Amino acid sequence: MDHTAYIDAAAATLGLTLTQDQRKGVTLYFGLAASMAALVQGLPLEPADESGNVFVPVAPQVHP
Amino acid sequence: MNAGSAVSIAASVREGRATAVDSVQQALQCIAATDGQVNAFTSVLAERALKRAQAVDASPRRQRMKLAGVPFAVKNLFDIAALPTLAGSKIERDTAPAARDAVLVRRLEAEGGVLVGALNMDEYAYGFSTENTHYGATRNPHDLARISGGSSGGSAAAVAAGQVPLTLGSDTNGSIRVPASLCGTFGLKPTFGRLPRTGTYPFSASLDHLGPFTRSAADLALAYDLMQGPDTQDPACAQRDIEPVSPLLERGAAGLRVAVLGGWFREMALAEALAATDAVAQALGTSRLVELPEVARARAAAFIVTAGEGGALHLDDLRKRANDFDPMTRDRFLANALVPAAWVVQAQRVRHWFARRVARVFETVDVLIAPATPCTAPPIGTEWLEINGQRLPARASMGLLTQPISCIGLPVVTVPLWGMNPAAPQLPIGVQLIAAPWREDHCLRVAAALEAMGLCSAPVAPLAAGA
Repeated sequence: MDHTAYIDAAAATLGLTLTQDQRKGVTLYFGLAASMAALVQGLPLEPADESGNVFVPVAPQVHP
Repeated sequence: MNAGSAVSIAASVREGRATAVDSVQQALQCIAATDGQVNAFTSVLAERALKRAQAVDASPRRQRMKLAGVPFAVKNLFDIAALPTLAGSKIERDTAPAARDAVLVRRLEAEGGVLVGALNMDEYAYGFSTENTHYGATRNPHDLARISGGSSGGSAAAVAAGQVPLTLGSDTNGSIRVPASLCGTFGLKPTFGRLPRTGTYPFSASLDHLGPFTRSAADLALAYDLMQGPDTQDPACAQRDIEPVSPLLERGAAGLRVAVLGGWFREMALAEALAATDAVAQALGTSRLVELPEVARARAAAFIVTAGEGGALHLDDLRKRANDFDPMTRDRFLANALVPAAWVVQAQRVRHWFARRVARVFETVDVLIAPATPCTAPPIGTEWLEINGQRLPARASMGLLTQPISCIGLPVVTVPLWGMNPAAPQLPIGVQLIAAPWREDHCLRVAAALEAMGLCSAPVAPLAAGA
C-alpha cells in the first residue's frame, strides 16, 4: 500500500517538515509500522475488550 | 579486572576486611584499563564516588549496609545529580543538569552502594545494538568486533568486562534481556510497575521497566530486593509491599512447574538459541511444551504502542531539530510521530487481550523458558539476518523473542549459557525464565538453581589491561 499521501498530510498537520533525505527512511519505517498495525487490527475484539492503558487517578499527598 | 560479586564485596566491607574506598578505587582502575576497548561508560564519576566511599567507610551504619562499598553504574537515562540526563542523545546535552539522583540510585546508595558512572545506550533507548553515533558503539567484551546488544548495552558490557559487579538498565521491548544475552550476564526485568521509574528518561511509559545486571543470581536478587517499594511519583508503580527474594533462592527450582515456550519462540530462534533453551529444559527435567496464542500480534502491539508513545514524546524536537537525532533513530522517530491514534488504541486493547490469555497458561505452570535472542552477538554493522527462512533486519530482530513478553509486563530473568554456537564458542547466549506477574521469586529461584548446577555462569571477559 502507498502511504505517501497520508505521510504528507500527517506530517503537515503535525508541523513536521520532511527533507528529501528523511523521506525515504520515513516511508520505509511507516510502512513497517503499517504492517504491524495490520496484525493488531486483525484480531477480532469486542467493545467490552478494554484498553490495556488504564488511567490511575492521583490522590493529593497528605502532609500531617 | 574485578571479578568480585556484590554479595562478597559488601560482606568484606561490612566485616572490615576491605574498605569501600579500596573497592571503588579497584573499579575505577578497571574502568580506566578496559573502557578504551569496550566503551561502556559515557561518564566516570571518580570524585563523587570516592567521596561517597569515604562516607560509607565512616558510617556508623556500615556494618548493616547490605551493599556496603559495592561500586555500580547506571544507563545514562537515569538522573544523576549535577549531570544532564543524556538518554544516549546529543539533544539532551543542552538540558539542565538533574537536581537529584533517580529513586533507584538513591535506594542503592542508601544501602552503601557507590555510583561510579553513567553508561552508553542506544539513543532514547530505541535500539537493540548500542551502535550509538554520538558516543560510539559499545563493544561486546567477549568479542570486541561484535555488538553488546541494546539498548542497555553499556550496562551489560560493564558487568561482563568486570568493571563493576552491578549496573542498572531499562527494558521497554527487551533492552535488559537482549544485552544480557549477548554479553553473557544475568539480567532481571521485573514485573511492569514493580520498580519506580522516577528520575529516569522515558521511552514508552506504557512499557518501560527498570532492572539490574549482575554476574550472579544472588547479586541480582540482592539488588532487586534493595530497589523494591512503591513511589508515588511514578503513576505506573504498584503500591505493593517489599517482597524480598534473596532468602528464597536456596529453595531452588524445587516444586516449580516449568515448561518450554513453543511456536513463535522456537520458529524465530537459530540453532544456538534452541540449544541453550533445550539445555535449560533438560537441566530442569521438563519436556513440556506450551504455546501462547497470537504471539505475532502481541509483538506487533508492543511495536505500535512504542512507536506511538515514543514518536509523540519527541515531537517537539523532531519539529525543531530532527537532524540532531542519531541517524540510527531519526527516521524511525519521524515515522512514529505519524502513527494514527486508532492503531495505538487497538494495540493497547490487543495487549490486554493477550495478557488475559497468558494468565490462563500460568494457572498450570510457574516458569516458562524461551531464548532471549534469536542468536549470539552479530558483528558490529550487521544489517540483515536470516531467521526462519526470512531475511530480516538484524538490529530489530534481536527483540523478536523479548518483545511479546514485556508487552504484558511479565517478570523475566535472563541467564547466560556458553558454547552453544559451534562457530563461535566464546560467545554467550541468554535464556529467558519467565514467570507470572509479581512472581520474580520463581524466575530468580530457577536462575539460582541453574547457576548452582553449573549450567549458567557469567565469567568476566579476558580483556587485555590498557590495550
